[in-house]
Amino acid sequence: MSATALPQPRGIAWPGRSSYVSLAMLLPGLAFLFAFLVLPSLVLLANGFMTQHQTGEVAPPFTLANFDRLLFSPAYQRTLLLTLKVAFVTSFVTVVLAYPLAMAIAYAKPWFSRLVMVLVVAPLVVSVLVRSYGWQLLLGNSRTGVLNWLLEAVGFGVTPVKIMFTEWAVVVASVHVFLPLMVLPLATSLTRINPAVIEAARMLGAAPWRAFLRVTLPLSIPGLTAGISVVFSLTAASYITPAMLGGTRGAMLGNLLEQQVTTAYDWAMGGAIAFVMVAIALGANIGATWLIEYRQRARLRASGAR
Amino acid sequence: MAKPVDLALSGLSKHYGRNVAVEGVTLRIAAGELVALLGPSGCGKTTTLRMVAGLVEPSAGEILIGGMQVTKVPVHKRNIGMLFQNYALFPHLSIAQNVAFGLQMRGVGKAETAKRVADALALVQLGSFADRLPAALSGGQQQRVALARALVIEPSLLLLDEPLGALDKNLRESMQVELRQIQRRLGITAVLVTHDQEEAMTLADRIVIMRDGKLEQVGTPEEIYSQPATRFVAGFIGAANFLKGTVASRGAEGLAIALPGGGRLLLPTETQEAPLVAVRPEAIAIGPADGPLPGNGTPATVEQVVYRGQMTHLYMRLDDGEPLLAYLANRDGAAPDGAGMRVGERVMAHWPASANKVVRDN
Repeated sequence: MSATALPQPRGIAWPGRSSYVSLAMLLPGLAFLFAFLVLPSLVLLANGFMTQHQTGEVAPPFTLANFDRLLFSPAYQRTLLLTLKVAFVTSFVTVVLAYPLAMAIAYAKPWFSRLVMVLVVAPLVVSVLVRSYGWQLLLGNSRTGVLNWLLEAVGFGVTPVKIMFTEWAVVVASVHVFLPLMVLPLATSLTRINPAVIEAARMLGAAPWRAFLRVTLPLSIPGLTAGISVVFSLTAASYITPAMLGGTRGAMLGNLLEQQVTTAYDWAMGGAIAFVMVAIALGANIGATWLIEYRQRARLRASGAR
Repeated sequence: MAKPVDLALSGLSKHYGRNVAVEGVTLRIAAGELVALLGPSGCGKTTTLRMVAGLVEPSAGEILIGGMQVTKVPVHKRNIGMLFQNYALFPHLSIAQNVAFGLQMRGVGKAETAKRVADALALVQLGSFADRLPAALSGGQQQRVALARALVIEPSLLLLDEPLGALDKNLRESMQVELRQIQRRLGITAVLVTHDQEEAMTLADRIVIMRDGKLEQVGTPEEIYSQPATRFVAGFIGAANFLKGTVASRGAEGLAIALPGGGRLLLPTETQEAPLVAVRPEAIAIGPADGPLPGNGTPATVEQVVYRGQMTHLYMRLDDGEPLLAYLANRDGAAPDGAGMRVGERVMAHWPASANKVVRDN
């Protein structure tokens, strides 16, 4: 391919004649982000490596004691592991629920596809507080909880479901709100698959489920990884949902952070927790990206194309 | 290779709501035969092929492969090989894995799979590409992989859905020859869908012309070209001039027909009405305008002369305003007949009586 035939990079020309103008236009936004996001974040993260003094100030000596406590003392470790568990279980359940929905959006007749899309996206337009109160009503552990009342009426005994104020209530509510963030990238991935490829698999003797496992699933991995990284990091970072539905048993890192800062006034510990939460979110994103790129590199190597 | 089997379609129809895609297609394809379904887009040829494949469920009718009823058999149990226009290789699997796919679905053992994959890739001369991914191959190579993948399962039937449509002309022609050789060698029954009449002529034992969801004519390429049954077929396969006149006289040798533009035709038929007659452009020769009116011929005026290398295309107008097209063969690249002809010149176009094809007007 000649140089002139190369596709033009998308986005703004950078650097170019207009680069100073672009820079000038970017400056206010960048300055805002730096002053109110980057700087405070750095301060908070730095707190994690310092000592909380009795006087109230967070200052040197530098120490890893906060991280040691967070990672290895039983109570903190439990919260950390619970956070990872809730994020993992939520991601898994979301994937299982999302595939059929994404396939309906990608392959169904237009009117049905649009209907599913609206239903999937609907939870996003409701505020997290309203949603959480809704789940409190639905999942209440007593007879007044809608689910328990219903199950009792059908004959499952008195209050058979007791998941309110546990991590499972958090999982249910997280799946509810993060489902669209899994469905949408998956549906996009699925629509990019050439339908003839799946027909070819069927004609070669693959029953529908085998065609799915051997062809559709591997070809939708880009959407899958995008969805998982978003759902995992958002669930791990959630605060309001576990605060309202998780109770003490279902408290996650976000709640621990709030407690350390507002109740214990331990800003150093708060900084350490914030650091770990950022690490989890970044880890999920980098991990997913790395997975895709690793696959692509392996593919290129196998193809012998370059 | 498995023993070749025949394919029978009977009253096959597909309706989408009130739209009729295919209507009452009845066709028998002999074992080892390659039949081309040919027609303009929207004629139902692809839908017919997809019904045979099992990808589209027929609204009515039956499909029998080797005498076995398969109308209700799901796609993955039909054991049919298919080539798609865009190759439809699995982009995430290597060439060898692509070819092995059908064997894995059938639970064939590892050692035998490896051997059969190697044989299939050798058949299409791509043995050295086994570990590449499809994206690293050219279009022609990809379609050969698709062919190996379709044939390795020893299908009872090979379906070809515009398989060479995405290739450039030279590659397409060499692939046509290769495809034909492999199909002949394996003796596999095959159905080809194409809108390219040359491809149908080159590849097929028989051609099925479809129009508006129905069969228009079925025959060998020569039959279809030299004895078109209808005006549509004559115009779709090659070019044709259509002439219609009135009965001037009836004699022992047949019907003499006077054309409104001053020409005449002699037909060995015995119809009451004057039929529609198709004349191929290459059958027409050009003589001087002041010569005698031949048995089959008409005076005409030259409107356009197009030199095309092996042929010169001569566009003429009859005196009643109807067009007439003649292809004049050029020997040694020179245009002997067309050489002196200029636009506006009066000529006498004539042809042998055998060139008159009586066709149904539809």
